[in-house]
Amino acid sequence: MRTAARPGPPISGRRRWAERVASLCVRVGGFAVVTGILGILAFLIAEVFPVLLASHVETEKQWSTTVTAPVLAVLTDEHRTHTATLAADGYLRIYRKGAEAPVMEEPIGDGRRIVSAKSVLGDTGFAVLAADGRIAWIPLEFSISFVEQTRVVQPEVSAPVWIATDQPAEDIEAFSVRHDATSTAAIFSTKDHHLAWIRISVEENMFTGEQAESVDRFDTQVSAAITEILIDREQRNVFAGATNGELFWWEVEGGALDQHATYRASEHAVTAMSMLIGDRSIVIGQADGSISVWFRVPQADGQIELQRIRDFPAHGSAIGLITPSERDRSFFALSNETMGLYYSTSSRTLWTGSPLLKGTTALSYAPKGDGVVFAGGGAVGLAHVENPHPEITLASLFGRVWYEDHAEPMWVWQSTGGTDEFEPKLGLTPLMLGTLKGTIYSLIIAIPLGILGALYTSQFVHPRMQSVIKPAVEIMASLPSVVLGFLAGLWLAPLLEKNFPMLVLMFLIHPPLILMSGWLWHALPKRFTARMVPGTELLLYGMIMAVGFALAFALAEPFEAQMFAGDFSRWLYESSGLRYDQRNAVVVGIAMGFAVIPIIFSIAEDAFSNVPKNLAAASLALGASRWETVVRVVLPTASAGIFSAIMIGLGRAVGETMIVLMATGNTPILDWSAFNGFRTLSANIAVEIPEAPHAGTLYRVLFISALLLFLLTFLINTVAEIVRQRLRQRFARL
Amino acid sequence: MNSKLERDPQLHNHRDLETVLEKPILAAESLSLWYGASQALKEISLSIPERRITALIGPSGCGKSTLLRCFNRLNDLVDGVRIEGDIRFHGSSIFDPEVDVNGLRRQIGMVFQKSNPFPKSIFENVAYGCRIHGMNRKRELEEVVERSLVRAGLWDEVKDRLHESALGMSGGQQQRLCIARAIAVEPEVILLDEPCSALDPIATAKIEELMQELKERYTLLIVTHNMQQAARASDYTAFMYLGERVEFGETGQLFVNPSEKQTEDYISGRFG
Repeated sequence: MRTAARPGPPISGRRRWAERVASLCVRVGGFAVVTGILGILAFLIAEVFPVLLASHVETEKQWSTTVTAPVLAVLTDEHRTHTATLAADGYLRIYRKGAEAPVMEEPIGDGRRIVSAKSVLGDTGFAVLAADGRIAWIPLEFSISFVEQTRVVQPEVSAPVWIATDQPAEDIEAFSVRHDATSTAAIFSTKDHHLAWIRISVEENMFTGEQAESVDRFDTQVSAAITEILIDREQRNVFAGATNGELFWWEVEGGALDQHATYRASEHAVTAMSMLIGDRSIVIGQADGSISVWFRVPQADGQIELQRIRDFPAHGSAIGLITPSERDRSFFALSNETMGLYYSTSSRTLWTGSPLLKGTTALSYAPKGDGVVFAGGGAVGLAHVENPHPEITLASLFGRVWYEDHAEPMWVWQSTGGTDEFEPKLGLTPLMLGTLKGTIYSLIIAIPLGILGALYTSQFVHPRMQSVIKPAVEIMASLPSVVLGFLAGLWLAPLLEKNFPMLVLMFLIHPPLILMSGWLWHALPKRFTARMVPGTELLLYGMIMAVGFALAFALAEPFEAQMFAGDFSRWLYESSGLRYDQRNAVVVGIAMGFAVIPIIFSIAEDAFSNVPKNLAAASLALGASRWETVVRVVLPTASAGIFSAIMIGLGRAVGETMIVLMATGNTPILDWSAFNGFRTLSANIAVEIPEAPHAGTLYRVLFISALLLFLLTFLINTVAEIVRQRLRQRFARL
Repeated sequence: MNSKLERDPQLHNHRDLETVLEKPILAAESLSLWYGASQALKEISLSIPERRITALIGPSGCGKSTLLRCFNRLNDLVDGVRIEGDIRFHGSSIFDPEVDVNGLRRQIGMVFQKSNPFPKSIFENVAYGCRIHGMNRKRELEEVVERSLVRAGLWDEVKDRLHESALGMSGGQQQRLCIARAIAVEPEVILLDEPCSALDPIATAKIEELMQELKERYTLLIVTHNMQQAARASDYTAFMYLGERVEFGETGQLFVNPSEKQTEDYISGRFG
């Protein structure tokens, strides 16, 4: 024995060592758990954090050109390698980034001067008013090819579409062009308040390939001097702003310009006007520097009217240019002293600064929304726009937001549509309320069953049964929730849809039946009941339940005929206007209740069992019945434990994903009705994260909802734990 | 102990015992009890005289507490208990199916080994039994609580903090509170199951003193481990050993002149 050589008890060294290892293990384990949780929190925060980053606009390159004629319009390609300018001298010039001399220089309109030009949202090209009074659409294309791994951008100008106005150019005050595959529409107004709509349509004969061109022209009078005019993409609506601050809306209907209505923004002249992507919203800049967003809103009387929805902080002087993004609802507004970047949906001012170039005469958002191109005074420049998550604010996440085409501000979650033109609606409120709804409906089922079951098991049932019931209920908890969700969605939901009156009937029949059977059991002579094997009464209850079930089954049809006029869902709709969805809150309540019951049962059972037996004995010895003892001593003593059982059940219900994913229908609607579905935060993350572009706004918002869930469950569990600790202290002396 | 009890001088011999026991308040008759397969009580016959203190002594596991719990049928709740024989309370069987167990327990109160006040206020602890039995008027309850606390000798100590938690009291106070709680429902018999085993000598003395006062009104049956306590505080003593009643007699007699060898061995400390 080596230890024999050492003085002192030989075992103590090994014990001390074991002690150290054990305490180290415990410490490492505890530390790892805390680190793990903090790590998750840190990860969530890291994913959410970029939302808080400010937008910024920074000049990338600015260079002067040899051209002195003022630039009327600019464009850039997707990669911002080329910049196209259209100058008053009638030339279209395309520059490589930073190059003084153009790579392409082409006269437009046979060398005539250009009076006015603009770029149009959603199209690459320029709308042009030439000095001879003709209006043209000049299509431009940047074709991209790859030569030995290098991207080559090749600008191409196609043949312009010319439209004769029969008016001298100096008489034309405002004009606009909209072009698509089959037609080109132009509108213009003249000094004598004349408005003309000209559309050239090209129809191709499918057999001969012959092209037939037709021209429509409608004229009308306007009551004010028009400064800005817009055509929407469908070429059906025309919007115009006037010097007196009035807004006009015409519909192109049945061969005429039909004036829908006139609105007044303010007494200041409208100086700039633009559609936003989707052609639903119109941004209006005025002479007093005010910027507002308008769109069409259905009114209570069924009419649709243009309505002023949002205002942005005004500039100090008249708004000269507004250019919208082709990717989202952000836009630049430029006045003499100020340049600002704004976002319509969230009403955010993303960035303001002084104009990137003094005396800017043309401004255009880059196609990808990541830059802006500008020109003026012989100089051309490109700026980089960092604008990652413009649509997120606390108000847009949690408050009502007035979305395009909606009659009023609403809470909506509708994250994606088919195209970029769709306005993403990222309101978390319907999801939070969905979470709450699922939780409430499942707790309505789980709390009474879990707690009463625990009370019965711990206080009244024979100990031999007790040792069977508790593990059996706890096995319920081990059932994977995906199985529960699957059963709920594919088996229970259709079953309930067919047999809902039977469920109602069971709720009516069973409680009195059970109470009655309990009374019956006690009314039986003691001599008889005492001889029974323990647990017989449970068997009796089981039989009574079966009888109740059979009764409900037999009575369901006459019951439905009597109470619900033969068809429950129609009765529901006709009597209360509620629709019965197959996957609804009742189904979720039952399925999720099934998942939550074991948790509540188990913790509540422990709480009841931990009430010292001598307290119950004291109560019984005073002549209290078992029921009185339970109600007056056991329940109050276990109350904190029951509270913590409910809270932990609540935490489980809030975070539960698979059941709600499969059984709710995932409709993010705001409705408390038990008969329709909902979408919870957790299910929403599961549904949408595979579709959310990495680091995109939707992705970040999903992480915000994950953070929200994390904090919510953390809070609930913490409260439950604190209450449990206090309970432990309170009864430590017993 | 100076508060040494003056005994009723006329009860000092066997003949007096017999007269007292002619009409016992409680009587076990050939009572046997099994916990599952093991027999805990064997054919016990024991009569408890009214308004006296009877002590049950014996070594651990001899069945004293089990016997005590038979008197208020608290053993009913223990799983697997089987009882044969009978216990008569005022002459009628307590095991009769017609007997209201809760009513029986109201008449036969109990104080436990470990003080077990409810996690409620002092007032609510004492009022608990009365509330159970349907007394709800505040005035009446206040009266009962005060009376019970006075009788339990606790009134002066707690009258200013009746509505504070009972769990804040000392061990001795808690035990006297349990006695107050038991007497609040006006029982006839109070069963005390080693009430002083967790208390210090001063608290023990107080309880013993209290028992002497309570004997005026109630019949007391006390299980004790402490032979000095039995000798000091009881009028009659039963010695139990291995589930059997070995000897029962007037306390002085039993301690001074036991008739059984086992009793003598036990009280003289040869085993136990």
